Amino acid sequence: MPQEPVDPQGIAWTRVSPKYAAVRMAGWAVGTAVTLLVLSVPLVLRLAGIWTWPPLWLAWAVPLAVLALDLVRLSLIPRQVRAIGYAERSEDLLVRRGLLFQRVLVVPYGRMQYVDVAAGPVARALGLCEVRLHTAAADATIEIPGLPAAEGARLRENLTARGQARLAGL
Amino acid sequence: MTVHRPQPPEDPDLPERPGPAGTPPRIPEPLSEPLSEPLSRADEAPWRRVHPVSPLIRGWIGLLAVAWFWGQNWFEDIILAVEDPGGRGAPPMEGIPFLGGVAWLLLVGGAVLVLVGLSFFLSWRFTKYQVTDQHVNVNSGVVFRRQRQARIDRVQAIDIVQPLLARIFGLAELKFEVADAGQTAMSLAFLRLGEAKRLRNLILARAAGLRSAPEGTGAPGPGLPGTGFSGTGAAAPGSGVGPSEPAAGAVPATDPAASPDSAASLDPAEAPERVVAAVPVGRLAGSLVCRPLTVATVVLVIGALVLQPVLTEDVSPLVVLPFLLGAAGALWKGFSSGFNFQAAASPDGLRMGYGLLDTRHQTVPPGRVQAVQIRRPLLWRPFGWYRVAVNVAGYGPGGDGGEERSTVLPVGTFADVLGVLSVVLPDPGTARPLELITAGIDGSGDAEGFRTTPRRARGLAPLAWRRQGFALTDTALFARTGVLGRALVIVPHERTQGIALEQGPLARRFGVCDVRLATTAGPVSPRVVQADVEVARVLFLEQADRAARARHRHDRDHWLEENPHG
Repeated sequence: MPQEPVDPQGIAWTRVSPKYAAVRMAGWAVGTAVTLLVLSVPLVLRLAGIWTWPPLWLAWAVPLAVLALDLVRLSLIPRQVRAIGYAERSEDLLVRRGLLFQRVLVVPYGRMQYVDVAAGPVARALGLCEVRLHTAAADATIEIPGLPAAEGARLRENLTARGQARLAGL
Repeated sequence: MTVHRPQPPEDPDLPERPGPAGTPPRIPEPLSEPLSEPLSRADEAPWRRVHPVSPLIRGWIGLLAVAWFWGQNWFEDIILAVEDPGGRGAPPMEGIPFLGGVAWLLLVGGAVLVLVGLSFFLSWRFTKYQVTDQHVNVNSGVVFRRQRQARIDRVQAIDIVQPLLARIFGLAELKFEVADAGQTAMSLAFLRLGEAKRLRNLILARAAGLRSAPEGTGAPGPGLPGTGFSGTGAAAPGSGVGPSEPAAGAVPATDPAASPDSAASLDPAEAPERVVAAVPVGRLAGSLVCRPLTVATVVLVIGALVLQPVLTEDVSPLVVLPFLLGAAGALWKGFSSGFNFQAAASPDGLRMGYGLLDTRHQTVPPGRVQAVQIRRPLLWRPFGWYRVAVNVAGYGPGGDGGEERSTVLPVGTFADVLGVLSVVLPDPGTARPLELITAGIDGSGDAEGFRTTPRRARGLAPLAWRRQGFALTDTALFARTGVLGRALVIVPHERTQGIALEQGPLARRFGVCDVRLATTAGPVSPRVVQADVEVARVLFLEQADRAARARHRHDRDHWLEENPHG
């Protein structure tokens, strides 16, 4: 992973599984299909002659423009997945994500309130899971998607053990 | 610890169903036994009930609506029946003779009242609470029972709330807040005011780690060194509004017969308090006048009056009426909730009391404040007024009285700000707190160790680039923003939940990025805006280390038991 200017010095990022791109693409496909279905309703009605108002070019242009944007988003997914990384340090957990809008988040283990391991149907079929570390602050939730199931379990155990050692109230 | 204990002896005819809404309610004594027994062991702490008229006060609006609706119907029916004895005028009552209709109505009404009264009685009868050494237990529910237990040392805040009707009856609601984002963990509604205060003092003393609270728990709150604060100047309590706190160190007069031992273990004296800030009515009114909302309203009204002759007749000036009503409502809310505001320091932490019709007394124990924000809005600047808000985990983002609860100073002078800060931020971690805070609120450039937005990024913030920045002390991070309306946010290192670096494409071009400090939900969202990337990266890692280290040093749930900065 290239060192971005926003990344802190001396952090060795662990990348998530490239298979996670497939999960994101599945989500993309569903979202795009629904959007296109809704947006093409005027087109169908216009072609069928039920509606007369939207000019034909507009009825075509809107879904096509949205489709083009969605294709750009699709092409970015592999790079976005490659930009996700996490690092375990002795006192805290770091996670980074984003290409255009980059974000690095660090949470000390002592602030951990609880850990989730979640997996949707596509992720489960690919043997992936997502680890979420929750703190008392809603905007300091660490989400690491696309972990192989074994790595997710290891991370969860590790976090729980480290959190236990440093766990305090609030 | 949810075993059903044998009930304390009661007057057999005492749990009377509360009278219907129309009759003047009689307030029976809640329990005939003395309020305190010399018991403090968990398994022997007595189960108690809230005051019997509580459901009536909670449900009075509903009851009033039913009574009004029913009374109106009845009244109309009688009139119609009198006017039209044939009964045709009253379709629902058709065919029923006049006297029969009245009897029928009385019957139904009586049955409804009995049912309502019975449900009130049952809900009262099945709600019990208990305060042990470590927990507060509340059992409630008639059909679906609920037994809730909260750890006392996890308390984030305790409120005593008095809605107007409860205030008339001398009752109060006790709210026990834990860190669950705004939901109230325990709400005891309603207790006698004296009992509510006694419970609050008891819970706070136990949460502080005082198993048998001595008289007058310790010295007055720590002062901010070098602030020159004087506690007497700010004291201006309003007269007659709101129950005045008992004198410092006074034992509540509920159990004159109790032995000194039991008084020490169960009735800890109310911790002495020292008023640090109070808001006179004139300043409160002035602060409301100088709000953008008021100014916008005035401009709108003037505009409507001026434009009226110009406009055509179909546009009535009355279109601004809904806006006016909304603005008036908001201003009234600000006035009634800021009325008689008083903040005080005590060993229990920060005490606040305010309210015109509904009053609220809050106690936030030490170490529960997650972040502080001092604001100096543009329109208040000529008057030297400030507003201070905090994040407290128990209060959450909104909910019941959300914004007022998080405001520790609705409008105050710089001396008031320092007084409040000395309580919510007892240790600023610097030898020059006054200079640092002054620089944070009004300063610019790199005085007092502030690091500001680099010059190359001044295009992103042409006015504020010399001001927005941050400074670090041993205990907290100070982030300042804004040049017209100014703000200073302070986050103690040990309260930092997480740190995020965020950079968008534009910021990347200028080599800057934002540092966001995560705290619990509330009005304060700390953020260092447009800091130099190199500086931000260093701050990011160092702040993470500082947060972890500060946490090791002091995690003070029991704030009087430990030496916080040992």
